[in-house]
Amino acid sequence: MSRPLRALFLVIAVVAVAFPFAWVVLISFKSRVDLNDPSSLSFTPTSANWSEVLHGGVLEAALRSVEVGLATVSVSLVAGTLGAYAISRFKAGGGPARFGILLAQLMPPAVLVVPLFILFFNWNLRDTIWAVIAAHLTFVLPVVTWFMIGFFDAVPRELEEQAMIDGYGRFGAFRRVVLPQVLPGLGAAAIFGFVLSWNDLFYALILAGGNAETLPVAISSYNTFRGVELGAMSAAILVSVVPVLIASFFVQKRLVRGISGGGLKY
Amino acid sequence: MLRRIPIGYRFLTPLAVVFAAVFAYPFVYSLWLSLTNYTITRRNETRFVGIDQYTGLLDNDTYRQALVNTFVFVLLAVSLELLLGLALALCLQRQRWARNVTRAFLLAPMFVTPIAVGLMFRFLLNQQIGVIPEILGTFGLEIDFFGPDLALFSMVAIDVWQWTPFMVLLLLAGLESLPKQPFEAARVDGASRWLTFRSVTLPLLKPVIVVAVLLRALDAFKVFEYVFAITRGGPGTATETIQYQVYRTGIGFFRLGEAAAMAFVLVAVVLTIVVVLFRRLMREAT
Repeated sequence: MSRPLRALFLVIAVVAVAFPFAWVVLISFKSRVDLNDPSSLSFTPTSANWSEVLHGGVLEAALRSVEVGLATVSVSLVAGTLGAYAISRFKAGGGPARFGILLAQLMPPAVLVVPLFILFFNWNLRDTIWAVIAAHLTFVLPVVTWFMIGFFDAVPRELEEQAMIDGYGRFGAFRRVVLPQVLPGLGAAAIFGFVLSWNDLFYALILAGGNAETLPVAISSYNTFRGVELGAMSAAILVSVVPVLIASFFVQKRLVRGISGGGLKY
Repeated sequence: MLRRIPIGYRFLTPLAVVFAAVFAYPFVYSLWLSLTNYTITRRNETRFVGIDQYTGLLDNDTYRQALVNTFVFVLLAVSLELLLGLALALCLQRQRWARNVTRAFLLAPMFVTPIAVGLMFRFLLNQQIGVIPEILGTFGLEIDFFGPDLALFSMVAIDVWQWTPFMVLLLLAGLESLPKQPFEAARVDGASRWLTFRSVTLPLLKPVIVVAVLLRALDAFKVFEYVFAITRGGPGTATETIQYQVYRTGIGFFRLGEAAAMAFVLVAVVLTIVVVLFRRLMREAT
């Protein structure tokens, strides 16, 4: 492709991405009356939708989503990094361990949600964030582990052998020499895992649709067939979108670099 | 005592424990459930029914439709995402001006929670109050995006909007970590751009493409949010997908045994495809 053609293609792509966002921003400032005319640009902006949403429990739900995401990612990073190192370096668990990780990744949530629902129901943990954290671990942990196996595979073995000659123990060599090597990858895996958890509706809706609703569940509750909620819903959508977009601006470079560091192996 | 355990397994223990608790145990439990008639409202009458739930699915037209819909959705969405993603990644790789801003913009959709994307497009594409049909209307085009003929394809389009960035991310990372020499050799030999792309870039990028397609396809099989937000499986069964049907059967009608069986059929099919694909790749590699 020639240069102008490439530029044109990118411009079209950017517009296609930006247009829906821009439109939702516009709608979120429209009053109920103005919403009847979708394409009109001349209206008096109102903040009614925003104040309705911000006082309507969406912020609490967002906070809960952050808690769930952080807890899930922390457990996944600790267990997944150590486990990935064992699988990559010592072939611990052999083929079955690698296969188990892959199997967990292709498992549709539909398979696990039924038993989890019954278990949490019996243990009186339904409608708590613990249920959601446990459920999110089922997909964040395998992804993080899988990424980390790739990163560890890319670290040359001589590095830790040298460290052990220098007097480090097994764990010391891991912590002080190998771990710093995979830090960019660790960051990418953490971001990736957090986004997966932040975005999940299926588990959160089924396991904790009431008192412990996460942000996606809160947003979906604006999903009624009455058009009158449109403004408030747009504001709620933006509450979920804006922080993530700002974050993505900062992490995108790191993410590209982290993934090219060796996370793409099969 | 601890010293006797091989070092590798000491590192593996935390992963094994968490994995067994949140994944292996529910998985086995689910497999058992699929062989019973477990229904929440009639828990006391639960009994082992063998493969009855599975054979029952054979006669279930809605389920068959959901399987077909899911596969059509995955096939179309992932192919479009791969083509668009590859084109965009190639453009982005050679772009100089406003590089980081463009990248951040184009990667943005994948960070948005899918339910928000579903709701956004539900109203953007709505026939009465949506802006896109209104704009098309001024050109004399009357399109019902969520009508029986188009609904599934609209879902595909929404998936493409949200997840092409994921393809771009992986392919761009892949492109930027390719070795430089083969490209210089191609330039010295005077190869055209198209030839360089076809015989140097593509083969080198193939492992990344395989991983990207695999990850995206496995994720696309789980499509739920767009259906939940927009069509609830309708009109008729036009957008019924497996994940949504499991939700309805299990959570809506409390028939958890049947829901588990529905999910396992999908697992079996997906697993078969993945294993066959892997075998072929391994054979090609040797």
